[in-house]
Amino acid sequence: MRIEARLPEGARTIVRALDLDVAAGETVGIVGESGSGKSLTAKALVGLLPPGVHASGSVHVNGRETLGLPERSLRRIRGREISLLLQDPFTMLNPLLRVGVQVVETAAERTREEAVRRLAEVGIRDPAVAGRYPFQLSGGMLQRVALAAALASDPDILIADEPTTALDVTTQREILALLARIQEARGMGLVLITHDLRVAFSICRRIYVLYAGSVLEVASGSELEAEPLHPYSLGLLLSEPSVERKLGELAVVEGSVPFPDAVSGCCPFVPRCAWAAPACMEGDPPLREVGSGRFSACVRLDDIRPELEERHRAVEEAVPPDEPRAGGEGAALVTATDLRKRFARRRGQDEVAALKGVSIEVGAGESVGLVGESGSGKTTLARCIVGLETPTDGRVLIDGIEASDYSRLRSEQRRAIRRRVQMVFQDPYSSLNPVMTVGATLREALSVGPDSRTTEADLLARVGLPTHYAARKPVALSGGERQRVAVARALALQPRLLVCDEPVSALDVSVQAQILNLFAALRAELGLAYLFITHDLAVVRQVAERVYVLYDGEVVESGPVNRVLDAPSHPYTARLVASVPRTDPDWLEA
Amino acid sequence: MSGVVAAGYEPAQAPARSRRRRVSIPVILAAIVLLAGLVCALFGPWIAPHDPNEQDLFASLAGPSRNHLLGTDDLGRDILSRTIVGARTAILGPALIAFGAMLIGNFFGVLAGYRGGGSDTVISRIVDFVYALPALLIAIVVVGVLGGGYFLAVGLLVVLFAPVDTRIVRAATLEQRNRPYVEAARLLGLSDRRIMARHVWPNVLPIALANAFLTFAFAIVSLASLSFLGLGVGPGTADWGRMLSDSRNLLLDVPEAALAPGIAIVLVAVSVNIMGDWLSENLADRGRAR
Repeated sequence: MRIEARLPEGARTIVRALDLDVAAGETVGIVGESGSGKSLTAKALVGLLPPGVHASGSVHVNGRETLGLPERSLRRIRGREISLLLQDPFTMLNPLLRVGVQVVETAAERTREEAVRRLAEVGIRDPAVAGRYPFQLSGGMLQRVALAAALASDPDILIADEPTTALDVTTQREILALLARIQEARGMGLVLITHDLRVAFSICRRIYVLYAGSVLEVASGSELEAEPLHPYSLGLLLSEPSVERKLGELAVVEGSVPFPDAVSGCCPFVPRCAWAAPACMEGDPPLREVGSGRFSACVRLDDIRPELEERHRAVEEAVPPDEPRAGGEGAALVTATDLRKRFARRRGQDEVAALKGVSIEVGAGESVGLVGESGSGKTTLARCIVGLETPTDGRVLIDGIEASDYSRLRSEQRRAIRRRVQMVFQDPYSSLNPVMTVGATLREALSVGPDSRTTEADLLARVGLPTHYAARKPVALSGGERQRVAVARALALQPRLLVCDEPVSALDVSVQAQILNLFAALRAELGLAYLFITHDLAVVRQVAERVYVLYDGEVVESGPVNRVLDAPSHPYTARLVASVPRTDPDWLEA
Repeated sequence: MSGVVAAGYEPAQAPARSRRRRVSIPVILAAIVLLAGLVCALFGPWIAPHDPNEQDLFASLAGPSRNHLLGTDDLGRDILSRTIVGARTAILGPALIAFGAMLIGNFFGVLAGYRGGGSDTVISRIVDFVYALPALLIAIVVVGVLGGGYFLAVGLLVVLFAPVDTRIVRAATLEQRNRPYVEAARLLGLSDRRIMARHVWPNVLPIALANAFLTFAFAIVSLASLSFLGLGVGPGTADWGRMLSDSRNLLLDVPEAALAPGIAIVLVAVSVNIMGDWLSENLADRGRAR
């Protein structure tokens, strides 16, 4: 199958060539970073490509060709034979209809009893849920409802496009377990599309690694994890931070995913491959069978297989760096004591408590992780510390300056604090002013910084960007590059603490590894302290030496990262740790 | 029992469809009309075949001829020349109104939206108050009572139209205010004034600019209405609204005398509307990620 977009500039290939088959009762994973074409593949399979995007080749469902079928015939196939579950449960359901109605909309029997029965199948035992509206339910519940609706006509195949990406880890595990259980009970084929190798390993029997519109490797989960047979799969695997142990430096695949047309006529991974050779440039590399049921598109595989293996082993067996410095060795840089924050809801309603008495401390030069799920108050805490929110109650001390209420500070105190604490935001796409060039943004930050000799070129060099990027606007930058600029802007004030609010969660794994390495390098170079907010335990393991676990506005556990993650003492932490996807087949059962 | 197989490919043969908006024919036509209007407004007296105020009572109420392409009015003045020269008051005034209202609206809109609190309350209430006034009626009364001329009418309409701009800019500012890039600027310790001028304002400008075009269209009609009622421009001036009012009694004798300025008003107003729509669609996407 091939997918193309027709643009005024001419056709652009999105998926070059994809061969995929799913048998009944089989779970197949498609793994790829953004831009690999995985979502459009899902849409093409059910005939829901957006206007201007066109698929060619063939798609057979139950032996019948469906590509190019008229809409009317497709409608009969969708839902009944092939069904689709989408990423964002919040926008997937009609906000004006009760969820029960939506679940049985396509079912044979449209009764309330049927809706309740269908919801029970996806683990919603409370029959009252059928009468609720989508906005009354949590993300995990909504995803269950959406799953029940996708299954309403008893499809033979379910395509799940990033079904757990928008959810918290604990919910993610529940949904994955549910998918696996239902797939098995119904003998249904399941295609799981994800960017997360760990998720794919946990549930898929066979995994397709998609890159820039081409399949580079096909293997079973355990084989892929044990011995990837393509340089890209290896890079992807190695750049995934491990939740089990700290790595010295994450292996990095330089650069970012190219457009498929930029690499046509050669192996798409050539521009980023350490083993690229002239042979790789001769035509699209075909998928070759390299073992029973294993395929790789690397033409040089026979030559480089030992090297790949060695590289993999080298990283796997790398000695973890020295036990990180214990916290609190320097003077406390930031101390928050018994912070409380309540948000007023609409008039006449109760207030919502986001923070219920949180105390944390970050020492000079120390890297502290702040872990929690959505709604735990971790972002509110960070915003209170940097002064974007004013806490309702409690104290914030920054290097001896009382900073609970920024509006009461004298201007020189405020300036002093700004030069000690800076922040990096989550969304790289909105954290830079779109109309200013990178250089202008950095010059502006430098103009209020303490050192007039530093130039924007110095800052760019520090975050690993070439000097000529100063002339670019944010639109011309990739997500990872923008995040580098955001870090450079914060560094202009020469702060001693960077508050990082999920700085890598919007990035692809290979780019995430680059940014995490950047944080590590900056710390070594400048002695920065970090308050690193994340929902990803693997990330916190790599960057922090001490961690606070936040749950529902309270710190439930804190201590050295290794101790908290290896031997959690609070049940919530234990649940969080257990929710990280594992290849272990028992993981879904537990 | 079941299975999905997707295999093989050949080059796709689908009709090309554009994703990005192309410049459509109405937009091109609107641009031509506006350009012509602008040329007339700037160089009218030099383009016009006759002196617009030259009376020739012997040739009054003449139909179209080679000498007078659109005929003459009751005083024997060349209608084509008067229409061309009339573009100046018809376009200059609305341009001033649109620009002035935009400046005032941007200043107070950004201030109210970014500062919030007290400044927002004061500005928003004043805006509500002015908004509630019937603009044209006020203009008629004030200009009529003061007997002021064209520029008093223009100035008055600036004040009366500014609340529309203020509201739109305030809403756009509210949307930008909590974006991370604005918060990052606050964290750097930049002054509020600088954040408003360098970060917020450039990002709401496209909306304000597009709105200015719509104000322009309203202003053309409002000013023409005032001159039609004999307010604003002095009697005898070559002005579209004035010509329309002067010629309405001659509608059966020389329809060109009323039709020419009337059609000119409609064309320019519609063109400005089309341009405004096109601008708002295109500028709003500019610089936005993805």
